[in-house]
Amino acid sequence: MLQAFQEVVKDYSTPPENTLNRDMTAQISSYVSFLIECRPLSISMGNAIRFVKNRIAKLPITLSESEAKASLHSDIERFINEKIIGADTVIVEHAVTKIRDGDVLLTYGSSTVIEMILVHAHELGKKFRVFVVDSRPKLQGKLLLRRLIKRGINCTYTHITAISYIMHQVTKVFLGASSVFSNGTVYSRVGTACVAMVANAFRVPVLVCCEAYKFHEKVQLDYSICSNELGDPNAISKVHGREDINYLNGLTNNAKLKFLNLMYDATPSDYISMIITDYGMVPPTSVPVIVREYQKEHLLQSSKIVI
Amino acid sequence: MGAQKKPAAAKVREDSEDLSRQRLQAILLADSFTTQFRSITLERPKVLLPIVNIPMIDYTLAWLESAGIEEVFVFCCAHSSQIIDYLKKSEWYTRPNPNLLVRTIVSHNSTSVGDALRYIYEQQTETSQIQGDFVLVSGDTVSNMPLADLIQQHRDRKKKDEKAIMTMVFKKQSRLGIGSDQLFVAVDPLTKQLLHYEECNSRGGDFCLDKSLLDSTVLCSDMQDCYIDICSPEVLSLFEDNFDYQHMRRHFVNGLLVDDIMGYKIFTHEIQSSCYAARIDNLRSYDTVSKDIIQRWTYPYVPNIDFSGNRPVKLGRRGIYRASDAVQSHTADVGASTVIGYGTKIGNGGKIYNSVIGNGCCIGSNVVIQGSYIWNNVTIEDGCEIRNAIVCDGVKVRAGAVLQPGVVLSFSVVVGRDFVVPAYSKVSLLQQPTTEDSDEELEYADSSSGTADHSSGLNNLQIESKASELGPDGAGYIWEICDSAHDEEWKHSVVPIPMDKLADITGAMDDDDIEDDIVVPPSGELKSDTDIINTDANDSYGDFEREVEEEFLSAVEKDNKADIVIPLINSHRLAYNMDSADCAGAVFYSMMRLAVKSPHNSATELYRNAMGVITKWKGVLGFYLKQTDAQIEVIMKFEEMCQESEELSPLFAKLLPFLYDKDVVQEDAILRWGEEKAGADDCDKVYLNKCESFIKWLKEASEEEEEDS
Repeated sequence: MLQAFQEVVKDYSTPPENTLNRDMTAQISSYVSFLIECRPLSISMGNAIRFVKNRIAKLPITLSESEAKASLHSDIERFINEKIIGADTVIVEHAVTKIRDGDVLLTYGSSTVIEMILVHAHELGKKFRVFVVDSRPKLQGKLLLRRLIKRGINCTYTHITAISYIMHQVTKVFLGASSVFSNGTVYSRVGTACVAMVANAFRVPVLVCCEAYKFHEKVQLDYSICSNELGDPNAISKVHGREDINYLNGLTNNAKLKFLNLMYDATPSDYISMIITDYGMVPPTSVPVIVREYQKEHLLQSSKIVI
Repeated sequence: MGAQKKPAAAKVREDSEDLSRQRLQAILLADSFTTQFRSITLERPKVLLPIVNIPMIDYTLAWLESAGIEEVFVFCCAHSSQIIDYLKKSEWYTRPNPNLLVRTIVSHNSTSVGDALRYIYEQQTETSQIQGDFVLVSGDTVSNMPLADLIQQHRDRKKKDEKAIMTMVFKKQSRLGIGSDQLFVAVDPLTKQLLHYEECNSRGGDFCLDKSLLDSTVLCSDMQDCYIDICSPEVLSLFEDNFDYQHMRRHFVNGLLVDDIMGYKIFTHEIQSSCYAARIDNLRSYDTVSKDIIQRWTYPYVPNIDFSGNRPVKLGRRGIYRASDAVQSHTADVGASTVIGYGTKIGNGGKIYNSVIGNGCCIGSNVVIQGSYIWNNVTIEDGCEIRNAIVCDGVKVRAGAVLQPGVVLSFSVVVGRDFVVPAYSKVSLLQQPTTEDSDEELEYADSSSGTADHSSGLNNLQIESKASELGPDGAGYIWEICDSAHDEEWKHSVVPIPMDKLADITGAMDDDDIEDDIVVPPSGELKSDTDIINTDANDSYGDFEREVEEEFLSAVEKDNKADIVIPLINSHRLAYNMDSADCAGAVFYSMMRLAVKSPHNSATELYRNAMGVITKWKGVLGFYLKQTDAQIEVIMKFEEMCQESEELSPLFAKLLPFLYDKDVVQEDAILRWGEEKAGADDCDKVYLNKCESFIKWLKEASEEEEEDS
């Protein structure tokens, strides 16, 4: 999305009556509403858009159009490199120190950061096994599994319904996140909370890896009454490739039956042992500190405040 | 004929349509008529070889029983007495009122599937055993697919269409099938009729399709033939009529597909993704199917379930199957996906991973067994290392021996102390049969005599204790791998494929990274695979060039005149649909190649060679160079050749005037070429620059001529 915004900036030309700041902000807003129509924004996307609008608003009026565009372009570039790519590298370095020889790791779904961590640890020569836990309807774990197997990592693939059977063998659980809230609640793919809860019951440490730009200052107590994203109901009712057990097929139109396909769920902070970010490895109670520091960093960058 | 068992109580089934209902019958070929497991099958028939500690034939028979088959004819050829003995002792005969009747048919001189079916057909005329449609399987099939529906489908189809005589079962291949040849299949998507079937030996081979097939066909290259067929009795009579049909697929299927007169049709059925079917035809598939059984793809034919012929073992975590009376030391490390049989003892410090250990084995301390298949009553002493090997019954591996990957130790071999058996070698107590002996004769040599002679031969060996090839106290012969098979050894063995070969193959194949393909594709669809038909224009020009060169060279050898060569080259031109410019280019190319190839010591000699060739053959060249375009083409071709070959490049400048002198190329062509090249990059203009002076001279000469005339 940020790269698309870079393209927007590149192609942008100020209309004669307007200033760059206001007009571009309006344009970006219109694009964002288009994106929202396609799919509700994730929290990290919201943060990134806020950052972009912030930078646009903070542009000095004295700059010419091309300079402004170049400055914006480089700002976005910096954001991508520092906050996303750079953050991933730092997280990987931190997390790899936590993996030891003989470890049995468990991961859920498909997170790019987790994949990078496992691959890096394997390259460093650590001997470990991985359980890849997956769930319907998205079955995203299969992608991760394929990529890990290609690297030669010893993997076992299982469904989320079997985690209590395998959890006693597991030494550490690594999870990815879509966002982390101020009270330490981790907002991630549906099913993560179950994995964290079972791990907690078996006294297995849970490590969540999340870049700092995904943090948010809001607090969400519950994931079904407060905001969440709904997916396609047909994805739950139909099981691909198994026509013999498609009992729910065709019932999506029934007025009395609603299929609830939630995309995200919230893991309470008690189940999480540690959050690994590019600001370091912190317990979930320290998240508000990071949110505060993170915002301060943005404010410090501004040289002129537009009134 | 083998033993027959009369059914004690005939089963009565209600059937509204047919009172004298046809029994569901199957023919099981207990002889593969191939020599893939040669070192082992000299002594025991292939279908009695254990896979995960159960003989292969038990899997097939158990599957046929559960699929609803009522009568099985087991066709034995090699080692038939062993098979008959085994079946007699097994519960197929001893169990009262089995659901499945097993009868044996013995033949001694069949050498192929065709012969077997012909024999059965002849028997048929006497005994009318085969009453209707039957299932034809091989004795080494492991499967759990339901057959009743398929047979009914076949029968319904036969009722509607008399000519639908066979249904073949295919499976979509999910992984690289490296051990076996690649298969190209063309199927009609609506009727599921088989339209083309071809096995390709080398990767990247092309094959020919009938053009009429191209509409409404689905081409698949990822299907695996399960060798499970539902046949009508006509199949038997067809084999009888065509007595040269030997191989089921190569001869019979292809013959039927090509034959328009009789118009018989073969249909296909794709197995559901939830079912499993595989055939063990070589060592690699032995390995693959073993792993599938351990991973429970073949449920309910898995080691911990009681089906006929199996003594169930207990399933523990991580895919470890352990028999209840197996004794294992505390310090032994038995890893994932391993099967330990009854009465087996494992000593201290052993590391056993991904292997199958049979019954009654005795494994010493500090032994490493990885990816191997150890059969019954094997003794492995301390400190041995066995990786990716197959060790048959009764083998003794003395202390410190090492079996390198790919080794196959046949029955009762003894590997001496500290001996390293080289990789991919096959070791047997029997000498390797020479190629002069007919292979079949050797296999059947002991079928009548049984194993009595064999064991006495063994004793002789032990008493004599002559220095064998396996170390001081070993016994056995290492078979040599014949040269042609050596390259293929890595393909056909139990060893995981070496990384470099795997990289080659995956590099050659399109390894699609399915990033967005989260959803599992629905079954029952045959996807078509692209880029099978190779009609690339460049390739055909290359072929054309090669053919012209061959023609030219043969003409040079025979010293033909130009007018003999020209029609020959024309015929090639028509075949490849080329125009004269291409012909000229190809001929010129051949000529220059000839000049380069003829022996020369220096550039001047090369130049003289080239001159000689051009002078001699300018008639041929001139024939195609009547038009200016063709001449330009020749010049450009020459340029290309000079770019490729270092030797020719200095000659360019000299040969161009020579060609002009000999009236092969006209000045118009040269000038136009010069003009065209003037606009090109510098790197292309190299040759142009070299000929600059000549071109200038030409221009001046032409101007002079114009002035004159």
